[in-house]
Amino acid sequence: MKRLLPLLLLLTSAIGCERGFVDSRREFGPAVPEDARAHPVEIHSPTTLGVADTPLLDAKGRPIGVACETCHGPTPDLSWAAEPDRPEAFHEAVDLRHGELTCNHCHDAEDRTKLHLADGTPLEVKDAMTLCAQCHGVQYRDYTHGSHGGMNGHWDLNRGPRDRNHCVDCHAPHTPAYGQVLPVHPPRDRYLEVVEHDAPDHSAKEAH
Amino acid sequence: MSTPSSEQEVHEHGVTEAVISYPQFLWKALGVATDGNALFYVWMTALTAVWLVGINAFAHQIVQGQGLTAMTDHVSWGMYIGNFTFAVGLAAGAVMMVIPAYLYHDEDMHDVVIVGEILAIAAVAVALAFVNVDIGRIDRLWHIIPFIGRFNFPVSMLTWDIIVLPGYFLINLHVVGYLLYMRFLGRKPNPKWYIPVVLLSIVWAVSIHTVTAFLYSGLGGRPFWNSAILAPRFVVSAFVSGPAFIVLALQIVRRFSDFYVGHKPIVTLINILRITAVVNLFLVGAEVFTEFYTGGSHVAAAEYLYFGLHGKNALVPWIWTAVVCNVVAAGIFLTVDPRKNLWIIDVACVMTLFGLWVEKGLGLIVPGFVPSTLHEVVEYLPNALEWKISLGIWALGLIIFTLGLKIAVAVFTGTMHVDAAHDAGEV
Amino acid sequence: MSDPSRRTMLKGAGATLGAAAFARAVAPITEWTNDLSVEGFLQKHYKELTVEDMSAVLARIERETEEQYGAKVSVEDVRPTPGVQFAYALNLSVCIGCRRCAKACHEENNHDRATNNSYIRVLEMTNGSLNLEHGTVTYDHAVPAPGKFYMPVQCHQCDNAPCVRVCPVEATWKESDGIVVVDYDWCIGCRYCEAACPYHARRFNWSKPEIPADEINPDQAYLSNRIRPQGVMEKCTFCLHRTRRGKLPACLEACPTGARVFGNLADPDSEIRWVLENKRVFVLKEDLGTQPRFFYFFDE
Repeated sequence: MKRLLPLLLLLTSAIGCERGFVDSRREFGPAVPEDARAHPVEIHSPTTLGVADTPLLDAKGRPIGVACETCHGPTPDLSWAAEPDRPEAFHEAVDLRHGELTCNHCHDAEDRTKLHLADGTPLEVKDAMTLCAQCHGVQYRDYTHGSHGGMNGHWDLNRGPRDRNHCVDCHAPHTPAYGQVLPVHPPRDRYLEVVEHDAPDHSAKEAH
Repeated sequence: MSTPSSEQEVHEHGVTEAVISYPQFLWKALGVATDGNALFYVWMTALTAVWLVGINAFAHQIVQGQGLTAMTDHVSWGMYIGNFTFAVGLAAGAVMMVIPAYLYHDEDMHDVVIVGEILAIAAVAVALAFVNVDIGRIDRLWHIIPFIGRFNFPVSMLTWDIIVLPGYFLINLHVVGYLLYMRFLGRKPNPKWYIPVVLLSIVWAVSIHTVTAFLYSGLGGRPFWNSAILAPRFVVSAFVSGPAFIVLALQIVRRFSDFYVGHKPIVTLINILRITAVVNLFLVGAEVFTEFYTGGSHVAAAEYLYFGLHGKNALVPWIWTAVVCNVVAAGIFLTVDPRKNLWIIDVACVMTLFGLWVEKGLGLIVPGFVPSTLHEVVEYLPNALEWKISLGIWALGLIIFTLGLKIAVAVFTGTMHVDAAHDAGEV
Repeated sequence: MSDPSRRTMLKGAGATLGAAAFARAVAPITEWTNDLSVEGFLQKHYKELTVEDMSAVLARIERETEEQYGAKVSVEDVRPTPGVQFAYALNLSVCIGCRRCAKACHEENNHDRATNNSYIRVLEMTNGSLNLEHGTVTYDHAVPAPGKFYMPVQCHQCDNAPCVRVCPVEATWKESDGIVVVDYDWCIGCRYCEAACPYHARRFNWSKPEIPADEINPDQAYLSNRIRPQGVMEKCTFCLHRTRRGKLPACLEACPTGARVFGNLADPDSEIRWVLENKRVFVLKEDLGTQPRFFYFFDE
């Protein structure tokens, strides 16, 4: 019954007896068959995944990232470490603000190139979303149903693919809270003056 | 009076004769309309000048778009639609002479009723002109012509207006034209040819203003308009503005022409005003009570109109001036004796015309949009271009009204009549 | 009356003078008629155009866009797909009010640059109240601000659309996939629909839109994002030039948080159906009976 709700909504709206609406009923055919879906939904793999920031900056002033394997792989190259005699100092710069979590809740203590699930099962870094999902089940459920997380491409997978954001595209694993941003594109209608009803202390500024 | 056979005879005779006499009627009317004393020429030249300024402003508006007006996506109707509403009321109000003259057989009204009918013609022309300057694409006007364009009838209330307004125009044009033409020929008008139309015009007058009210009151998203008493308010206020205007017009006719205007029709109109002005105040009061006593966000628009909202109060001085005008005018109508102090009544007529122009113009249209449907408060007051175009249209209306009166007076006083040669065989 | 011939002469002079003044008053119109074409003037209603008519119309629009805006564009008549019923849902718990959707709409739909026009208005609302009276669209500070939530409003593509009902010339109607469209070449610009819409979803082209040639989105459709003429209404079309080709609307793609859910209501496995069936959705101003196809919801 619950599934029928949108359909009921549609049907009851026929009471509106709109000419336009009658039109729209005419072509209300069967849904697209599921098996006909030709194109994939691909989850974007963020370049930050499995990469740690170094104190070194690139030409554009961004920290240069270094892969876990560089130091923790079979042939470690510790030249990236901040203090080569104390390599763990490299990670002390990490700003960890993710609930009560500490490093080893997610990073595998045995194999630092991997993560691990709560039951100890090792997990490749690229599969990090499964790790997130352990605690954030509601968000993961919403994500899998398309109501959480940005996307690009096609709503109709019969006609083209879809790219989904990965959790860490928006939520840095160590500081996952979504930060504040400055809004873009202020309304600049003809003669629209700035009116802030509930924020009289806020300095009202014109758009440009 | 006449037997069926003689009526038939007259009718047949009339058809053949009309081929000659009707063009003559039009030609002589043109002559009368362009002929007068110095005052007449000054008056007409002034009106034409104002009209031309309006036409010029309108031409600029067509080229550069309504962006030249003060209207916005928040207040998307303004001065033009406000004036439209008021003009429709004026047209509908003219029927307040027709009712006593034809329904109550008020003999004193019988000749002067033509003034009301000419007012109806001029006011509908004004109303239609205001719609034309408001639409964004005047070149696509043909899209609203039934059968040629696509006419969303009966669903869109605007299509009803498109039917009733030109309809009312034609009805009154027929009555005025027929009566004047018969007088011109020196014949008694045949009741069969105009009485049914006059009766229709009474119903039609109520319909034009009801339809115009429904235009607004049918919009659920605009609480300020979404009121069942909007149509009654419109009709009643029309029955104030129409008679008030005619009271003034009759005195002007009496003063500047030889047309006999007795005292009785004016007194009758003032008696009508005594009732309608008070009922109008009552209906406005009922609306205001419902809004403010209930409160909530529904009252925001009325609050904006009467007291201002979030520091925005452009309409407050206008509406309070209008309230004072309407209240004082109603008091004057009720207390002053028109036989002794007619000039005080005249002042009251001017006051109530201004009061209703605000109440049904800017005071009705703008609060429908303030606050907007998303509760943004963007104000509106007409700018210079809108004033120019609006005054131009009113000047056009006065030109039509003046010329109509001029022709009617010439016909009724006998200075304009059919040439003797064509008159042969007449009674 | 003393000298009839002199009087007639004076009348003639007056008439000539008046006609000259009139001609001068209406002179600006000539500038306007330059932009008008006979074929544009005589063009029939969208629903009455044959396939041949339509291809001629599209060619004319492409040509005029190049002449007037200096941009080569492709204008197509993209029709609804049978079996598709569009609907939109917006997660108010996730929306941060960054207005990137409004910006994307502005760019995608070839809006007038001077007015920053967009079919989307984002309201900053105070927690605990859905009363629009406490909302503001002109906020200009870091978002999301504490104690606030954000509510983007755009066309709700109502099934019982007041705007469609009031149009005197049937220039706006609901298509078979649920999208309410405007025939920009048929609209007379009376703005009755703008007065009727309870969601501030419709916009009027107060002037001819200004867009630099290099900013024009060349992928255009007759009923959606082609550059609108002056003096007509326009509105959100759920980006039908994209969505009728299976793509997601521009505002959804621009959303950084995934607050927006779009899809086919007729497909039981669609994301939009999942949201309607599993979230507690609501519509704006439900009491007006407009039956929107645009839903809001909060996460639990």
